[in-house]
Amino acid sequence: MKKHFNPIKDKSADIIEYLMSSPDMPQDEALRFKIHLSIEEAVENVVRYAYEDGIGWMEAGTDLEDGGLTLSIEIKDAGTPFNPLAREDPDITASAEERKIGGLGIFLCKKLMDEIKYEYREGCNILTMKKKLS
Amino acid sequence: MDVKINQDGCKYEVVLDGRIDTTNADKFQEDLTPLMNAETPEIVMDCTGMQYTSSQGLRIFLSLQKSVIAHKGSLVLRNMDPKVREVFDITGFSSIIKID
Repeated sequence: MKKHFNPIKDKSADIIEYLMSSPDMPQDEALRFKIHLSIEEAVENVVRYAYEDGIGWMEAGTDLEDGGLTLSIEIKDAGTPFNPLAREDPDITASAEERKIGGLGIFLCKKLMDEIKYEYREGCNILTMKKKLS
Repeated sequence: MDVKINQDGCKYEVVLDGRIDTTNADKFQEDLTPLMNAETPEIVMDCTGMQYTSSQGLRIFLSLQKSVIAHKGSLVLRNMDPKVREVFDITGFSSIIKID
Protein backbone atom coordinates (compact mmCIF):
# COMPACT_ATOMS: atom_id res chain seq x y z
CA MET A 1 0.00 0.00 0.00
CA LYS A 2 1.13 3.55 -0.61
CA LYS A 3 -0.24 7.05 -0.31
CA HIS A 4 0.54 10.47 -1.69
CA PHE A 5 0.79 13.21 0.94
CA ASN A 6 0.50 16.85 -0.06
CA PRO A 7 1.25 19.14 1.67
CA ILE A 8 3.67 17.48 4.10
CA LYS A 9 4.61 20.48 6.24
CA ASP A 10 3.89 19.61 9.91
CA LYS A 11 2.37 16.28 8.77
CA SER A 12 5.09 13.91 10.04
CA ALA A 13 2.84 12.38 12.67
CA ASP A 14 0.08 11.59 10.11
CA ILE A 15 2.54 10.03 7.66
CA ILE A 16 4.19 7.92 10.40
CA GLU A 17 0.78 6.77 11.64
CA TYR A 18 -0.28 5.83 8.10
CA LEU A 19 2.82 3.66 7.64
CA MET A 20 2.65 2.09 11.10
CA SER A 21 -1.00 1.12 10.60
CA SER A 22 -0.19 -0.75 7.37
CA PRO A 23 -1.29 -4.41 7.36
CA ASP A 24 2.29 -5.21 6.31
CA MET A 25 3.58 -4.21 9.77
CA PRO A 26 4.55 -7.00 12.19
CA GLN A 27 2.87 -7.32 15.58
CA ASP A 28 6.06 -7.99 17.55
CA GLU A 29 6.61 -5.04 19.85
CA ALA A 30 10.42 -4.94 19.69
CA LEU A 31 10.37 -5.07 15.88
CA ARG A 32 7.67 -2.40 15.68
CA PHE A 33 9.78 -0.15 17.92
CA LYS A 34 12.75 -0.33 15.53
CA ILE A 35 10.58 0.14 12.45
CA HIS A 36 8.69 3.06 14.01
CA LEU A 37 11.92 4.81 14.96
CA SER A 38 13.43 4.32 11.48
CA ILE A 39 10.26 5.57 9.80
CA GLU A 40 10.11 8.61 12.05
CA GLU A 41 13.72 9.55 11.29
CA ALA A 42 13.36 9.05 7.52
CA VAL A 43 10.03 10.89 7.28
CA GLU A 44 11.24 13.79 9.45
CA ASN A 45 14.28 14.16 7.25
CA VAL A 46 12.08 14.75 4.22
CA VAL A 47 9.46 16.89 5.97
CA ARG A 48 12.10 19.18 7.47
CA TYR A 49 14.73 19.40 4.77
CA ALA A 50 13.60 18.18 1.33
CA TYR A 51 11.79 21.32 0.23
CA GLU A 52 13.39 24.70 0.70
CA ASP A 53 10.12 26.49 1.42
CA GLY A 54 8.71 23.46 3.25
CA ILE A 55 6.02 23.04 0.63
CA GLY A 56 5.95 19.82 -1.35
CA TRP A 57 4.73 16.26 -1.50
CA MET A 58 5.84 12.82 -0.33
CA GLU A 59 4.77 9.36 -1.32
CA ALA A 60 5.09 6.78 1.44
CA GLY A 61 4.34 3.09 1.27
CA THR A 62 5.05 -0.39 2.52
CA ASP A 63 5.32 -3.77 0.87
CA LEU A 64 6.11 -7.34 1.85
CA GLU A 65 8.82 -9.25 -0.02
CA ASP A 66 10.38 -12.75 0.12
CA GLY A 67 6.98 -14.37 0.69
CA GLY A 68 6.18 -12.06 3.60
CA LEU A 69 9.53 -12.42 5.36
CA THR A 70 10.84 -8.92 4.58
CA LEU A 71 9.13 -5.59 5.10
CA SER A 72 10.02 -2.87 2.62
CA ILE A 73 9.30 0.81 3.26
CA GLU A 74 9.64 3.37 0.47
CA ILE A 75 9.67 7.12 0.88
CA LYS A 76 9.74 9.34 -2.19
CA ASP A 77 9.89 13.12 -2.62
CA ALA A 78 10.63 15.62 -5.37
CA GLY A 79 12.69 17.97 -3.23
CA THR A 80 16.34 18.97 -3.45
CA PRO A 81 18.43 15.96 -4.52
CA PHE A 82 19.98 14.69 -1.29
CA ASN A 83 21.54 11.36 -0.42
CA PRO A 84 21.16 11.00 3.36
CA LEU A 85 23.33 7.86 3.34
CA ALA A 86 26.34 9.81 2.06
CA ARG A 87 26.53 11.74 5.31
CA GLU A 88 29.39 10.71 7.58
CA ASP A 89 28.34 8.61 10.58
CA PRO A 90 28.66 10.29 13.97
CA ASP A 91 31.72 9.38 16.04
CA ILE A 92 30.07 7.23 18.70
CA THR A 93 33.32 6.88 20.63
CA ALA A 94 33.71 10.62 21.27
CA SER A 95 33.29 12.00 24.79
CA ALA A 96 30.17 13.93 25.78
CA GLU A 97 32.08 17.20 25.51
CA GLU A 98 33.33 16.36 22.00
CA ARG A 99 30.14 14.89 20.61
CA LYS A 100 28.28 17.01 18.12
CA ILE A 101 24.57 17.52 18.62
CA GLY A 102 22.58 15.92 15.81
CA GLY A 103 23.33 13.64 12.87
CA LEU A 104 21.81 10.63 14.63
CA GLY A 105 18.57 10.16 12.68
CA ILE A 106 19.73 8.42 9.52
CA PHE A 107 22.50 6.68 11.51
CA LEU A 108 19.74 5.03 13.58
CA CYS A 109 17.92 3.94 10.39
CA LYS A 110 21.16 2.34 9.14
CA LYS A 111 21.64 0.48 12.40
CA LEU A 112 18.05 -0.59 13.03
CA MET A 113 17.16 -1.68 9.49
CA ASP A 114 18.70 -4.63 7.63
CA GLU A 115 19.07 -2.74 4.37
CA ILE A 116 18.79 0.89 3.35
CA LYS A 117 19.13 2.26 -0.17
CA TYR A 118 18.96 5.70 -1.76
CA GLU A 119 18.29 6.48 -5.41
CA TYR A 120 17.65 9.67 -7.36
CA ARG A 121 15.33 8.77 -10.22
CA GLU A 122 13.15 10.87 -12.54
CA GLY A 123 13.58 13.95 -10.39
CA CYS A 124 12.77 12.15 -7.13
CA ASN A 125 14.65 11.13 -4.00
CA ILE A 126 13.73 7.54 -3.18
CA LEU A 127 14.72 5.98 0.13
CA THR A 128 14.02 2.27 0.59
CA MET A 129 14.44 0.57 3.96
CA LYS A 130 14.10 -3.17 4.50
CA LYS A 131 13.65 -5.18 7.68
CA LYS A 132 13.60 -8.96 8.01
CA LEU A 133 10.52 -9.99 9.98
CA SER A 134 11.68 -13.37 11.23
CA MET B 1 5.93 13.21 27.46
CA ASP B 2 5.27 14.16 31.04
CA VAL B 3 8.22 15.46 33.08
CA LYS B 4 8.05 15.77 36.87
CA ILE B 5 10.92 17.45 38.71
CA ASN B 6 11.37 17.35 42.49
CA GLN B 7 14.17 19.62 43.69
CA ASP B 8 15.90 19.47 47.05
CA GLY B 9 18.90 21.83 47.02
CA CYS B 10 21.25 20.57 44.32
CA LYS B 11 19.41 17.24 44.06
CA TYR B 12 16.90 16.81 41.28
CA GLU B 13 14.64 13.77 41.07
CA VAL B 14 13.10 13.61 37.63
CA VAL B 15 10.37 11.21 36.49
CA LEU B 16 9.81 10.79 32.75
CA ASP B 17 6.58 9.34 31.43
CA GLY B 18 5.65 8.87 27.78
CA ARG B 19 7.26 9.09 24.34
CA ILE B 20 9.74 11.66 23.07
CA ASP B 21 9.20 12.21 19.38
CA THR B 22 8.97 14.90 16.77
CA THR B 23 5.65 16.19 18.13
CA ASN B 24 6.88 16.96 21.64
CA ALA B 25 10.69 17.21 21.63
CA ASP B 26 10.62 21.02 21.88
CA LYS B 27 8.35 20.82 24.92
CA PHE B 28 10.64 18.19 26.50
CA GLN B 29 13.64 20.49 26.06
CA GLU B 30 11.68 23.34 27.60
CA ASP B 31 10.67 21.14 30.57
CA LEU B 32 14.35 20.39 31.22
CA THR B 33 15.42 24.05 31.21
CA PRO B 34 15.65 24.29 35.03
CA LEU B 35 18.15 21.39 34.96
CA MET B 36 20.23 23.01 32.22
CA ASN B 37 20.57 26.24 34.19
CA ALA B 38 21.37 24.65 37.57
CA GLU B 39 24.84 24.89 39.18
CA THR B 40 26.37 21.55 40.31
CA PRO B 41 23.07 19.69 39.82
CA GLU B 42 22.85 16.06 40.96
CA ILE B 43 20.20 14.66 38.66
CA VAL B 44 18.59 11.23 38.89
CA MET B 45 16.07 10.48 36.15
CA ASP B 46 13.62 7.65 36.43
CA CYS B 47 13.00 6.43 32.89
CA THR B 48 10.53 3.63 33.71
CA GLY B 49 7.76 5.41 31.79
CA MET B 50 9.85 6.50 28.79
CA GLN B 51 8.66 4.06 26.12
CA TYR B 52 10.29 5.65 23.10
CA THR B 53 12.73 8.30 22.00
CA SER B 54 13.65 9.46 18.53
CA SER B 55 16.91 11.22 17.66
CA GLN B 56 15.16 14.45 18.69
CA GLY B 57 15.07 13.15 22.25
CA LEU B 58 18.66 11.92 22.08
CA ARG B 59 19.97 15.34 21.13
CA ILE B 60 18.25 16.79 24.21
CA PHE B 61 19.83 14.15 26.47
CA LEU B 62 23.21 15.06 24.96
CA SER B 63 22.58 18.79 25.50
CA LEU B 64 21.66 18.05 29.11
CA GLN B 65 24.77 15.94 29.68
CA LYS B 66 26.99 18.66 28.17
CA SER B 67 25.34 21.25 30.40
CA VAL B 68 25.65 19.05 33.51
CA ILE B 69 29.39 18.56 32.85
CA ALA B 70 29.86 22.31 32.27
CA HIS B 71 28.07 23.00 35.57
CA LYS B 72 30.13 20.33 37.40
CA GLY B 73 27.10 18.23 38.22
CA SER B 74 26.05 14.62 37.67
CA LEU B 75 23.36 12.82 35.69
CA VAL B 76 22.12 9.25 36.12
CA LEU B 77 19.34 7.59 34.13
CA ARG B 78 17.55 4.73 35.90
CA ASN B 79 15.15 1.91 34.98
CA MET B 80 15.44 2.34 31.25
CA ASP B 81 13.22 0.22 29.00
CA PRO B 82 15.43 -2.33 27.16
CA LYS B 83 14.23 -1.10 23.75
CA VAL B 84 15.17 2.48 24.59
CA ARG B 85 18.42 1.26 26.13
CA GLU B 86 19.32 -0.34 22.80
CA VAL B 87 18.97 3.07 21.12
CA PHE B 88 21.34 4.55 23.72
CA ASP B 89 23.76 1.64 23.12
CA ILE B 90 23.72 1.87 19.31
CA THR B 91 24.41 5.60 19.35
CA GLY B 92 27.19 5.35 21.94
CA PHE B 93 25.11 7.36 24.41
CA SER B 94 25.46 4.59 27.02
CA SER B 95 29.16 5.42 27.26
CA ILE B 96 28.68 9.17 27.72
CA ILE B 97 25.63 9.13 29.99
CA LYS B 98 25.53 7.01 33.16
CA ILE B 99 22.72 4.46 33.02
CA ASP B 100 21.92 2.38 36.10
